[in-house]
Amino acid sequence: MDLLKRLSLNKYRVDRESHIKVNLDICRTCKEKPCIKVCPAGTYERSGDVIEVHYERCLECGAALVACPFDAISFKFPEGGVSFRYG
Amino acid sequence: MSYDADVIVVGGGLAGLSAAIQANREGLSTLVLERGEYSGAKNVSGGRMYVHALKELVNIEDAPFEKPITKETYVISCGTRRVTFSFSDPESRNSYSVLRAKFDPWLAKKAEEEGVIISYETLVSGAMRDNGITLRTNRGDLRAKIVIEADGVTAGVSRYLGLRNLSPDSLMLGVKEVIKPDVISDEGEAKVLVGFVDGLLGGAFSYVNKDTISLGATVKVNSLQSERVLARDLVELVREKLGIEGDILEYSAHLIPYYGYDKLPPVYAPNLLITGDAAGLLINDGFVIRGMDLAIGSGMIAGRAAKKILDQGDPTKTQVYEEMLNDSFVMKDMIIARRAFSLMNNERLFNAYPEILCSVLSRMFTVSGNRQRLLNVLIEEIKKRDLTLTETVKDLMEVL
Ligand SMILES: Cc1cc2nc3c(=O)[nH]c(=O)nc-3n(C[C@H](O)[C@H](O)[C@H](O)COP(=O)(O)OP(=O)(O)OC[C@H]3O[C@@H](n4cnc5c(N)ncnc54)[C@H](O)[C@@H]3O)c2cc1C
Ligand code: SF4
Repeated sequence: MDLLKRLSLNKYRVDRESHIKVNLDICRTCKEKPCIKVCPAGTYERSGDVIEVHYERCLECGAALVACPFDAISFKFPEGGVSFRYG
Repeated sequence: MSYDADVIVVGGGLAGLSAAIQANREGLSTLVLERGEYSGAKNVSGGRMYVHALKELVNIEDAPFEKPITKETYVISCGTRRVTFSFSDPESRNSYSVLRAKFDPWLAKKAEEEGVIISYETLVSGAMRDNGITLRTNRGDLRAKIVIEADGVTAGVSRYLGLRNLSPDSLMLGVKEVIKPDVISDEGEAKVLVGFVDGLLGGAFSYVNKDTISLGATVKVNSLQSERVLARDLVELVREKLGIEGDILEYSAHLIPYYGYDKLPPVYAPNLLITGDAAGLLINDGFVIRGMDLAIGSGMIAGRAAKKILDQGDPTKTQVYEEMLNDSFVMKDMIIARRAFSLMNNERLFNAYPEILCSVLSRMFTVSGNRQRLLNVLIEEIKKRDLTLTETVKDLMEVL
C-alpha cells in the first residue's frame, strides 16, 4: 500500500501551525538530505535544493529530533497530532 | 511558592501510570500529565508484554491482552534462502501480545479508580528547577517537589533541564503495521525476522493478536541516515518478503531507546526520577525485546522512591531511586544483557552471520560427491567473509 494511503488510516488533529521548523540556510548546503531517508511519514520532500515540510503527515515517532546531522530541523510535539487506534 | 502536587508524573504511558499508581498508594498527591487524548493514543509497541511486573502492580484477570505467546519462531533470510526454527510451549503464560491503544487506557482506568488524577491533552513543553521543578504546559505552569519523568524515549524533561542530548546511534526507529489477514492462527506466535531489512542494522518482528497481526521493523537511526533504504518503505518491504496479505488497519512509528547498560543516561537528578524509555531502560539480546516490563518495573520503583525521598525531607536527594533500581530485576537484567547489546551494534550480526548460516546449511544439504566435515565447511565460510573462527566464537560467547 502506498505511503499516503497508509497515513490516511490514522486519525489526525492537525495543529494550525507547523510543529517542525527547518533552517533553510543550513538545509540548502546539505546534499544528502538524510531526513528524507529517516522519516517514516514522508514529512520531508525535496523541493529544489531545500526541503518542503508536510508536517500534517507526522507520526510523532521522534526521529526528527536526530534525523538531521546539521541540526537544521527543530522539532516539538504538536498539541493535537496523530492518535493511534491500535498502537 | 506553593506546589500543585507532591509528585507530577510526565507521561501517562506504562512507566507513568505504574509510577502514579504506586505513588498514590504511598499516600502522595499525584498528578499525571499526558499529551494524548487518552493514554496509549501516541504509543507504539511491537508488542509483546512480559507480565511479571504488571502482575505485581495490578490484578490482570480482565487485562485486554491479545493472545498468550506460546510459540517462538526465528526466520533468518539470505536472499531467497531461509532458515526457520520454532519453539512451542502451549502452557506458557509469561507474555502476551498487546495493542497499546487498547492496553494503556485499561491501565489508566485502574489508576483513576484508585484516585490518580490524569490530565489528558496536556503537553509539557519546558521544565525549570526552582526549589522543586516547574513544568511549562499548554494549560499553564505546574510545580511539584518531585517530577517523575515517564515521557518515553525522547526524554523531553531531561532535555529541557539540559541533562541529555539525543544521538542517532543510541536510537532505533520502529515502523509498524497492524494487519487483518484473511485467516488468523489460533496460536499466539512471536516471530523474530533476521535479514529482512536490506543491509540496515536491525531486524523485524511479527506478533499474532486476537484478530490482527502486528508486523514491523526496527532499525538503527544512524544506519538509516547512511543507507539507501527509506524508512517509509521498510514495513511494506518486510510484508512483501513474508508474503502477508490482508487489510492494513494502521501504520505507525516510534523511536526505541538503544543505550545498553554501559551507556545508560543518568536515571536521577535533583527533584527528578527518570523511568522507562526516558531512562533508556530497554533490553534487546537477540532473543527478546523488552521495554514494557522495564517501564512498569522502573515506574513502580520511582513511585515508592518518591515517598522515601519526601520522607527524608530533602527532595533534591534522589539517589535512593538508583539504589532501589539496582536492587531490582530492572538493572540486574540490564546488566546481564550488556554484552549482547554491544553485539547488536555489530554489523556482523545482521549481515555476515546470517549469510554464513545459510551458506553452511545450503552446502550441507547439497550432495555433490565431495562431502566435507561440517566444521571445515563452517571455517571456510567464515574465512570467505574475512572473519576468523575465534572472532565468531567470541561474538557467540558475548550473547551467551
Ligand atoms: C516498534 C516497537 C516494538 C517494540 N516491541 C516491544 C516488545 O515487543 N516488547 C516490549 O516489552 N517492548 C517493546 N518495545 C518497547 C516499548 O514499547 C517501550 O519500552 C515502552 O513503551 C516504554 O514505556 P514508557 O512508558 O517508558 O514510554 P511510552 O510508552 O513511550 O510512554 C510515554 C508517554 O509519555 C507521553 N508524553 C511524551 N512526551 C510528553 C510530553 N512532553 N508531555 C506530556 N506527555 C508526554 C506520551 O504520549 C506517552 O503516553 C517496542 C517499541 C517499538 C517502538
Ligand atoms: S517525528 Fe517522525 S514522523 Fe514526524 S517528522 Fe519527525 S521523523 Fe517524520
